[in-house]
Amino acid sequence: MKLCEDCHKTPAAVFLKLAVNNKVTGLHLCQACAAKKGAVYGFESGVFNASDIVGNVSDYFNDFLPRERKTLACAACGLKYSRFKETGRLGCAQCYKSFEPQLAELMARIHGFARHAGRGYAGGGAPEFSRAEASRRGEALNAAIRAAVDKEDFAAAARLRDALRELENRHG
Amino acid sequence: MAELLKSFRPDVTWANAGGAWPDMIFSTRVRFARNLEGFAFANRAAADRLAEIRRLVFAAARESGMFPRGHYLKMEALGPLEKSFLAERHHISPVLASSVLPSGAVISNDEDLSVMINEEDHLRLQCLSAGFAIEDALRSALKLDEVLGGNLRYSFAEQFGFLTACPANAGTGIRISCLAHLPAMARLGRMPAALESLSRLGVIARGIYGEGTYVLGDFYQIANAACLGRSEEAFSRNMDKVIRNLIRQEIGARELLMKGAAKLKTEDAVFRALGVLRHARAVSYNEFMQNMSLARMGAAMGWNMGLDFSTFNQLTLLMQPAHIQAAAGRALTPAGRDAFRADYLRKKLN
Repeated sequence: MKLCEDCHKTPAAVFLKLAVNNKVTGLHLCQACAAKKGAVYGFESGVFNASDIVGNVSDYFNDFLPRERKTLACAACGLKYSRFKETGRLGCAQCYKSFEPQLAELMARIHGFARHAGRGYAGGGAPEFSRAEASRRGEALNAAIRAAVDKEDFAAAARLRDALRELENRHG
Repeated sequence: MAELLKSFRPDVTWANAGGAWPDMIFSTRVRFARNLEGFAFANRAAADRLAEIRRLVFAAARESGMFPRGHYLKMEALGPLEKSFLAERHHISPVLASSVLPSGAVISNDEDLSVMINEEDHLRLQCLSAGFAIEDALRSALKLDEVLGGNLRYSFAEQFGFLTACPANAGTGIRISCLAHLPAMARLGRMPAALESLSRLGVIARGIYGEGTYVLGDFYQIANAACLGRSEEAFSRNMDKVIRNLIRQEIGARELLMKGAAKLKTEDAVFRALGVLRHARAVSYNEFMQNMSLARMGAAMGWNMGLDFSTFNQLTLLMQPAHIQAAAGRALTPAGRDAFRADYLRKKLN
């Protein structure tokens, strides 16, 4: 039996159809959650007030976003996906990995494509960091190496060690 | 008066008339948005890291050899007048001008190449060219990108290309824009429909200073909206097509304004505008732009306005509020600027 998409506990008793941006979205709800959200329907009240529901569609839409999306945040910079939706600005390059499926969809809408087809980038030379920046990066690489070793991901650890060696050669 | 303003030339090469349609296309700009690996984007990076980014970009620009005798500017060291001047020259955006974080700009001596540092992205590098010159501007911007990208480390991923703070700029990170002067279409009320059909072609039109700015003197910045999923050349070919199409439409509109009874009306409007520019005693920037637009159109229609397109273009830059104060050598009130502007025009046009 399908569970309510809001509380995830009670079996769903109602299927609510909502039109959001000309797309029909369906929600399976239990009676209690549906009532809590202010939706008025069924024989008890005798009224099905469609305009009330449609008027609050954006609230519904946000409330019923899958839970992992609500708490989805970038592993590197901590930016919440919900915050990105408000500002339209990502926090760091890793956000593209953290939100990859969502962004692929968004990119297809903005650009008409979801994959880069322009010039590649082979990577530049090693820039000359300030002492503070070099030591910050050294610490971060050391921590990442420890984490990789703990996870027994030795290939990643070797890559990180090369990066650390390169940093030390240049700034050591 | 700030020393910085004296170090900039009064005339800029990219504002000279150039290209196949100097009467319609003022200038062409190609910019790339880039970010550095290992740093959060500018909106989420701490001040000390932004300062480090700026240091790295300054160093890469020096090493590139592409900015001999160039300007290396830290935004927080500049006053409001200097920032306005740079924004009026299209070297920095209004957003960067109002930034309070460690940010900056590198500008080449002849002002065709520039890099904004820590605006929305760590780097916004651009090439400005005179007239309709998409291919040339693209070539120069690509060269600058290649050299800086060789000295720095950009954030890049196979799927999304060059990674930017806003996903709308990711991929190639390219924006190709032409500053187009379209007075005849505007006069015939054809711009709203033209802009709507542009948006269907993946092209956006903005005011003279870019995003969020008003249209002044019938100048429109026409630029590509999407920048992912095709090559840099494909985007530039599309823009080339779009601009040529606009040029054809403007030529058609001019022909209508020169036909039959419309001709006298057009001629009257053009020469009245020239009269204001030649004889008024106080001219606001807005008023200058409106009248200059008509006079410029008159020149395009072959009437003698006493000015060539290069002079029109340089005047368009010079008459801006911060430029007026740079020319006067002192800060002026708005009323003082209007009088100075009128004096300057009277001397130049009579």
